[in-house]
Amino acid sequence: MTQAASRAAGADTDLLPLLIEASDSVQALLAEAAASVRLKVTEGGKLSSAALEREQHAAHGYAWLATYVESVRQLAAYTGRMIEANRFGEIEELLVRVGAGEYLAQIFGGIPMSQGEMLRLADLGVTEQKATARMTPAVKELIAGNNAVTRAALAKLIAKAQGSLTIGDAGLDETLDAMRAEMHRFAESEVVPHAHEWHLKNEYIPMEIISKMAELGVFGLTIPEEYGGLGLGKESMVLVSEELSRAWIGVGSLGTRSEIAAELILGGGTDEQKQQWLPKIASGEILPTAVFTEPNTGSDLASLKTRAEKNGDVYKVYGNKTWITHPVRADLMTLLCRTKPEEKGYQGLSILLAEKPRGDNENPFPAEGMTGGEIEVIGYRGMKEFEIGFDGFEVKAENLLGGVEGNGFKQLMQTFEAARIQTAARAIGVAQCAMELGLRYAHERIQFGKPLYSFPRVSDKIVSMAAEILIARQLTYHAAREKDSGRRCDLEAGMAKLLAARIAWASADNALQIHGGNGFAMEYPVSRVLADARILSIFEGAAEIQAQVIARRLLDGTN
Amino acid sequence: MKVLVAVKRVIDFNVKARVKPDGSGIDLANVKMSMNPFDEIAVEEAIRMKEAGKATEIVAVSVGPQQASETIRTALAMGADRGILVKNDGPVEPLAVAKILKGIVDAEKPNLVILGKQAIDDDSNQTGQMLAALLNWPQGTFASKVAMEADSVSVTREIDGGLQTVKLKLPAIVTTDLRLNEPRYASLPNIMKAKKKPIDEKTPADYGVDVAPRLKVVKTAEPAGRKAGVKVDSVAALVDKLKNEAGVI
Repeated sequence: MTQAASRAAGADTDLLPLLIEASDSVQALLAEAAASVRLKVTEGGKLSSAALEREQHAAHGYAWLATYVESVRQLAAYTGRMIEANRFGEIEELLVRVGAGEYLAQIFGGIPMSQGEMLRLADLGVTEQKATARMTPAVKELIAGNNAVTRAALAKLIAKAQGSLTIGDAGLDETLDAMRAEMHRFAESEVVPHAHEWHLKNEYIPMEIISKMAELGVFGLTIPEEYGGLGLGKESMVLVSEELSRAWIGVGSLGTRSEIAAELILGGGTDEQKQQWLPKIASGEILPTAVFTEPNTGSDLASLKTRAEKNGDVYKVYGNKTWITHPVRADLMTLLCRTKPEEKGYQGLSILLAEKPRGDNENPFPAEGMTGGEIEVIGYRGMKEFEIGFDGFEVKAENLLGGVEGNGFKQLMQTFEAARIQTAARAIGVAQCAMELGLRYAHERIQFGKPLYSFPRVSDKIVSMAAEILIARQLTYHAAREKDSGRRCDLEAGMAKLLAARIAWASADNALQIHGGNGFAMEYPVSRVLADARILSIFEGAAEIQAQVIARRLLDGTN
Repeated sequence: MKVLVAVKRVIDFNVKARVKPDGSGIDLANVKMSMNPFDEIAVEEAIRMKEAGKATEIVAVSVGPQQASETIRTALAMGADRGILVKNDGPVEPLAVAKILKGIVDAEKPNLVILGKQAIDDDSNQTGQMLAALLNWPQGTFASKVAMEADSVSVTREIDGGLQTVKLKLPAIVTTDLRLNEPRYASLPNIMKAKKKPIDEKTPADYGVDVAPRLKVVKTAEPAGRKAGVKVDSVAALVDKLKNEAGVI
């Protein structure tokens, strides 16, 4: 037996010191990369937008490197916590070995920012000599530990763990585990058997399912108890989103809208607005929808054009919005618009809590001054996407969020952390679903006289998904805990979302590959999961914007 | 009125059970475990009685390893009031469980005990009946409908060839069949509340019960796989095989 495999079987392990040492090495490497990237993107000691644009590959690559370094750090933290709690078993150890080994190897060899764009240390201005110096014995040993023997051992344990809710201990407390189990049970019997049919027919998530989710408390998870919520932390929101998205991303995304609306009102609303809206959002009585994006305004919100003119005790809204998710059945729009036409940038923006009547397929928008058309999409169905036109649509003036105009962008920014954490959770759920579908098919499909799973190129794909999902979970839970402790966590949340979205896509792609031709057939659920996974690196901060935001924050030097 | 429900931690119904290589039993390492589905139905029925004002307290009992407290916690999250875990790591047979339950009944004095008709791991279908015998209480097994009255309970039983309704004088034993009800999901707030509900820990010795197995498992084996068939090239050959090989005509 090789060294790696025999070590994996042992309970006492030298893994933790190795991880800590390797984590320190790559953090030092990151600091060196920061120094050389800063040289490329600053002029006169300040970040230059022109230079940042010219050097996008290096700047965004630096954000990816930072995400990888944080991943290794979180793996070390997870290992430490699990060993201490006596919960670090064989499968956890192998997952960490494969995950850390792979990520360290990519840090030094090349990080795929997307399938066609590799980031190499040289792109950041890190010399070969400096890189070699950071390739310490601990790093080398961890990289060597991710080998065919380790992966085969892990593949065996994963096969045995089929049916477990997570591959390896996710590291949460007992109550959160109980919540996961119950959400899993709900999703498994109420959503999973129907999701594919709903997807193929482009149907809405049945209202009955939404009512059941409301009864279970899904929409009020993180709303404070004084406003009718459960007052729980973001970790609970994460795992509920994971389990629902694992069944179907649409169901896991219903809560996103409630989360955004609640965060907006909690962060920016007046006392009356909190009293009026939060209890109804928490109970699921009110379904909100976020109305931000415009035909010519996606990532660049400052150029937003929809305007709201104050006319007595109402605002009249004019303009076009697009990519609005679930607007027909929503009761409340959090509507970003320009209330100060003379202010061109962010300053002129406000958010209106715009009430609207519920529509249906025959009459989607039964409101004066509001029309819309469906945008048909390849995945992420169940709520339906629309473009919406406002022509004199009226909103009560008292429904201006916070009661003061011009705060819209700031109010919206405050929700980004929570929304990104929730989106990372959705990505984890989709990745988990892909892994489970791939794992099941790999066992059922017999070729050359054996199940596909007995071929390393197949089981390696599953192994890689399991290890990456563990990494995404640890990054996301870390961001959630930071959020709960009241610390700024835009970096952590952004990294979790950036990485989890890529992992979801890679998992879906590989799960489909395992299915071969059958995966390309619409009747197989994995075809849906591929389409669903694709949205994750587009919405809630496209991967490129996400990398840009992370890079700017880290390189600014003011943090 | 107090209701006692028995809940067992078993291999999850979705998991494909695997036999240990040495044939000594089922491999449970890293396998997902859940509450026995028939016991979920028992818990649900008790909660419905409480919601209808016909029961005042629900006590959930489990005999099993420390992790069985998670199973009790699930019952508490569904709506049971408190739990009793009788800790025992090895296998327990129906008679030992029935004796332990008798001990708990003697201490708790419930008016009704609801159990699953069987556990999906060993499919024994014995504990409820044995408990009734030990207590000398009436029993209504395989219940598909349960109606509480003042000092009796009417139980509709699923039997071969139809339904039978029996009226039992309280206190009584009921075992649940699949169609009795559809168990609810525990809501997230109730999972939080369940954390604060008490679980008493006991041992079989507290009830003076010796749990040493009376039966010996000789061998556990996978069901035989289906064998490949043969193709025949004529009706005459088929008839010949049916007559002389299979012996069915």
